[in-house]
Amino acid sequence: MTELLVREAALVLEGVSAGYGESMVLRGLRLTVPAGSVVALLGKNGMGKTTLLKAAMGFLPKREGRVAMAGVDITLFPAHRIARRAVSYTSQEQALFADLSIKDNLRLGVARDALLDERLAAIYAIFPFIEGRLAQRAGTLSGGEQKMLLVARALVARPSLMLVDEITEGLQPSVVDKVGAALRHERDRNGTAMLLVEQNVGFALAVADRFAVLKRGEIVLEGDTHDPGAAEAIRAQLRV
Amino acid sequence: MTESALPPAAALTSTDVRAMRPLRRVVGVAAACAGVALIAPWLLDTYTLNILIRAIFFAMLALTVDVLWGYTGFLTFGQSAFFGAGAYAAALVFTHLGFSPGLAWLALGAALLAAAAIAVVTGWLSFYHGSTALYASVISLVLPIVMTQLLFSGGTFTGSSSGLTGYTAPDFSLEAWFRIAGCVLVLLTAGAWLFVRSDGGRVLAAIRDNETRCAYLGIDTARLKIVLLVGTAAIAGLAGFGYASFSGVVAPELAGFVFGTEVIIWVALGGRGTLVGPVLGALLIEWGSAYLSGSLPFIWKLFLGVAFVLVIVLLPQGLLPPLARLLRRPWARRQSGTDAAGTADTAVLVESPVRAAADRGTPVIELAGVAKHFGSLQVLSGIDFVAYRGELVSLIGPNGAGKTTLMRCMSDGAERSAGTVRIDGHDIAHAPPHACVRFGLGRKFQTANVFETLTVAECLRMARVRIDTPSLWRRSTTLALPPHALAVLKATELDRKLHVEAQHLSHGEQQALELAMVLALEPQVVLLDEPTAGLSLDERSRIGAVFTDLCVRFNLCLLLVEHDLDFVREISTRIVVLHQGRLALSGTVQEVVASELVQTIYAGSAGHD
Repeated sequence: MTELLVREAALVLEGVSAGYGESMVLRGLRLTVPAGSVVALLGKNGMGKTTLLKAAMGFLPKREGRVAMAGVDITLFPAHRIARRAVSYTSQEQALFADLSIKDNLRLGVARDALLDERLAAIYAIFPFIEGRLAQRAGTLSGGEQKMLLVARALVARPSLMLVDEITEGLQPSVVDKVGAALRHERDRNGTAMLLVEQNVGFALAVADRFAVLKRGEIVLEGDTHDPGAAEAIRAQLRV
Repeated sequence: MTESALPPAAALTSTDVRAMRPLRRVVGVAAACAGVALIAPWLLDTYTLNILIRAIFFAMLALTVDVLWGYTGFLTFGQSAFFGAGAYAAALVFTHLGFSPGLAWLALGAALLAAAAIAVVTGWLSFYHGSTALYASVISLVLPIVMTQLLFSGGTFTGSSSGLTGYTAPDFSLEAWFRIAGCVLVLLTAGAWLFVRSDGGRVLAAIRDNETRCAYLGIDTARLKIVLLVGTAAIAGLAGFGYASFSGVVAPELAGFVFGTEVIIWVALGGRGTLVGPVLGALLIEWGSAYLSGSLPFIWKLFLGVAFVLVIVLLPQGLLPPLARLLRRPWARRQSGTDAAGTADTAVLVESPVRAAADRGTPVIELAGVAKHFGSLQVLSGIDFVAYRGELVSLIGPNGAGKTTLMRCMSDGAERSAGTVRIDGHDIAHAPPHACVRFGLGRKFQTANVFETLTVAECLRMARVRIDTPSLWRRSTTLALPPHALAVLKATELDRKLHVEAQHLSHGEQQALELAMVLALEPQVVLLDEPTAGLSLDERSRIGAVFTDLCVRFNLCLLLVEHDLDFVREISTRIVVLHQGRLALSGTVQEVVASELVQTIYAGSAGHD
């Protein structure tokens, strides 16, 4: 059992229950994301993966349980106060500002403009299309490009914790590889902890250090992604 | 009576009985209300009767605003204009032609017709293809202003600013007026109640939730909204006719914008989207303000304003919903068993036979020279492409290559800049999406696009509106779907969640629901933009089997945008590569996946699994 308020854990959920209306989606859930490590959260549809992220991020009130980030109890914090603690949330719904330019969308991720210019070069290396189109309205990007911009916006913010919801959806395979490499790089260089919600088991295993499988609101399997049997165990859980 | 105890032969009649239950309940409640309306005149004094009769006519108007605003999402400030049109039509006939029973009927006809005619023009202006909700609301603001100006400038014909008075009107006693008006209000409310809960009435909620999806289900939303506006305008006209006949006075303010806004307040206070709430709101506020304006002549409006602000802040749903909850609680438990079955959407899924599609191998979608540019930015150019029945074509290409734009050009005649598109032999020319759907097209969007506040069953029923014309006063107990739509529901276990509101489904479930909706349209050619996004491995392979089945057994043509190359490889009969707005490659699965182009611009190492 984990201690709630330890600095070594980027995110701790302890006995969290949350849901919509009368239906309870998460039931006394426990999960820890150690500092500087990437945890992949897998599970079939409707098992509560997105709900978990929303509850952690303060978008959904928790009926029971506590949530802590880097040793601070944030259970009752509203979303904007959580975001100020250098936490980024990349949601599944396209959360861009469609009427703002690509550059302005990125600018909203950083505290000062000077920082943005500094960090843009690294973004161009991952997503070259952004370089020539900074002034384009984000709403006119294709679905996949919008996804890439969401990742880029999270990366320029240099968060200490990233919550990412199905980022590979709608991306071409070669870009999926690049996103994976970029997330790994971010973790290695800045020690960013991440919780990745994924359907793509291959991607999850390639990027994450640990995995957890969510089923009917509870974590039913946890482990190290480097274990030789991990992929098989996860697929078995997803099948039933 | 427990249904499970019935033999199978009787089971069908028991569902019929269940379908009739809400109807019977509405008739019962309506009869009771009408009874109250008939008895009340003996209990009330003349002053109260006078006020309530006026209020009853206003309540009819509030009812129409609730149908438009509460159920369809069209915030209108202009229903007063139709009320005024009805009132003035009656007053003009009585003033200039005199009064006789025959002329009274003429006046009624004129009132309905005037209101409806103005609504046709207003509706066309407000809802033509491409207008927005805000635009329609602005038109509804302008309408009453124009109406009052016209009445002001009518000279002696309309009585200008002092209106028309002193005409002879139907001479009923106060008691008779109350009974007639009360019964008409009860009838209208009961009718509206049945209508908004009927399968046809739920289309209004679908329009409110997601108009684009409605269009892509083949529903001509602009026409429906115009028809609805004309219908509600006629009822507003009827209320205006009643008011003018009863009071013997009409003034331009009746058609005005201030009155139109007051109606909105009644609806909001009473409870938007409850029908009964707005009716009670109108009655109570009219009655209350009549007394208050007598005893507190100067500050009663302040009271009303404060009450309005308090209700909006503390009870944003209006007064009725919390009141109803309080009243229902004590006996809800006793009744819960039967009641839940009666009100919940308990539609039973049945399979509807599908017409065998025409010959395999005939072209079903043909593009010639299709191009699209946004200003100077060329997105697509020179696209020539034909797909045949029974084919499953996957369209792949880098992000931003124009795949979604190409799908848009195939499904909306207004999208492309050049070239022709034929669906099942029909040139789509500049046809809007709902017309393209009628040619046999189904389109699933990239991000889940469903009706959030409708249940899964209702969402699916919307997809059937074009084929099974829904009833305007009752709910069907069955939901007939073609076998392939049923297969998708089974593969994703959505068939167990028919009563769940779509907004409470997970992202992947919404995707699957949209897919089932598109297939329920019984299309000839299906455009699927990333149909497996958000689905798990297992669901993916089951959906893949459904797709193959659609092509092999039902001769449909499927066109798929997909990034999961393994999935594409498994199910496609042909792959087309779109690169920088041009068709770069077309061929069999082996040829394309192994090609150098795809390897360099597209493929990755891990693959998707």
